[in-house]
Amino acid sequence: MRDEEVQDLELHRRLSTGDRGAFDELYARYGAAAYGLALRIAVQEAVAQEVVQEAFLALWRAPEAYDPARGTFRTFFLSLVHHRAVDAVRREERLRQRSERASNLEPVRGEDVADEVVEGAYLSVRRKQVREALTTLPPEQRQVVELAYFGGYTQTRIAQDLGIPLGTVKTRTLAAMRKLRRALSGED
Amino acid sequence: MAEDHERIEELLAGYALVSLSGEDAEEADRLLAEHVPSCLVCRQTISDLRGISGDLALAADPVPPPDLVLARIHRGLDESSSARRGRRGSFVALAASVAALVAMGGLSVTMAGRASRAEESTDAAIQLLSVMRSPGADPVRVDPQGTAPSGSGFLSVSAPDVRRLYLVADVCPTPAPGHAYQLWLGEGGSFTPVGEMFVPNDEGVVLLELTVDVARYDEIWITEEAVGSEPSTPTTTGRHWSATLV
Repeated sequence: MRDEEVQDLELHRRLSTGDRGAFDELYARYGAAAYGLALRIAVQEAVAQEVVQEAFLALWRAPEAYDPARGTFRTFFLSLVHHRAVDAVRREERLRQRSERASNLEPVRGEDVADEVVEGAYLSVRRKQVREALTTLPPEQRQVVELAYFGGYTQTRIAQDLGIPLGTVKTRTLAAMRKLRRALSGED
Repeated sequence: MAEDHERIEELLAGYALVSLSGEDAEEADRLLAEHVPSCLVCRQTISDLRGISGDLALAADPVPPPDLVLARIHRGLDESSSARRGRRGSFVALAASVAALVAMGGLSVTMAGRASRAEESTDAAIQLLSVMRSPGADPVRVDPQGTAPSGSGFLSVSAPDVRRLYLVADVCPTPAPGHAYQLWLGEGGSFTPVGEMFVPNDEGVVLLELTVDVARYDEIWITEEAVGSEPSTPTTTGRHWSATLV
């Protein structure tokens, strides 16, 4: 287990005892990643801020929701943010208003992490690995993953928007996730 | 039942991206509840897929949240801490309130081990008793359904002219990992989640006070939901309890 993951576990243990200092440390570690993700999905700053706020508060209120046996704290928490962001955009029915964006999603950028963001070395390294893994996907596979993950679209909606069978969306998604799984295995 | 692992992996891949809907979502929920927990291959698959999903978050540029976000969170922490202290007090005093509910035939409970703490009654218990004493008070037993243990149950207490609902349980099972319970109120088949998700304390005790006008609803449900999700309808594949409000 990496040092960062050990530290996360210790912070989570302290958080479970109501330690506000541990909470603030986790916010310092993951606030920027969480907000960047929420902003990418929700687009609107106010919605993204609410998503991040609610995700951190949910963590504070129910720290036991994280089970270390099921993976790292980072993947748990960022998945929580992702779920909430997707729920937010779907709930507010912004998908239709953002339909133009569907065919022109902001591409994943390379190395241009915001200068003012200070994050752990491992997070930066992992970020680079994830982006590189995404670039290895065939465009049609990467497209369905990005529409689903960052666009918040259901597979049914993706099939409709792209004019392809639902089965094709599922096949491309599975193929993409298998490739990502291979590319990123052993690193988490 | 033999399962097609290619098909399962396809569903779980969509599940990990939060992109399933309709029958696919229902099928994934069923598999996660019935098949995956007992299948080594699928447990590893979903674990890996969840890891990838968490990793994909890093593909978005990190952006420092505005300072106001942390300020709002800190305010929320203060409120949660107060509520947490209040809930602890409520749990401690639940013996008294549950004893009163038993007297009304609401729940069958064993008070052993908690009676001595009944002396530490709290505002929540007093308010609950106050509601129960009010004219027309209406305790409703919310019975287990589906996979909920037969000995478990909740009691919902409300009264006319009181825009509050109390939800009490003494043998509430711990939800599955990553899950918590959600209260729903239904009106003509349409359900609304009420309050935040909750979990019982270590003794399986729940006491919730919710500000809501119960009179307009005709059903009450408590369902097991994934923490962090914001379901729009009750999930009935896990443990759940329900009752008709008359």
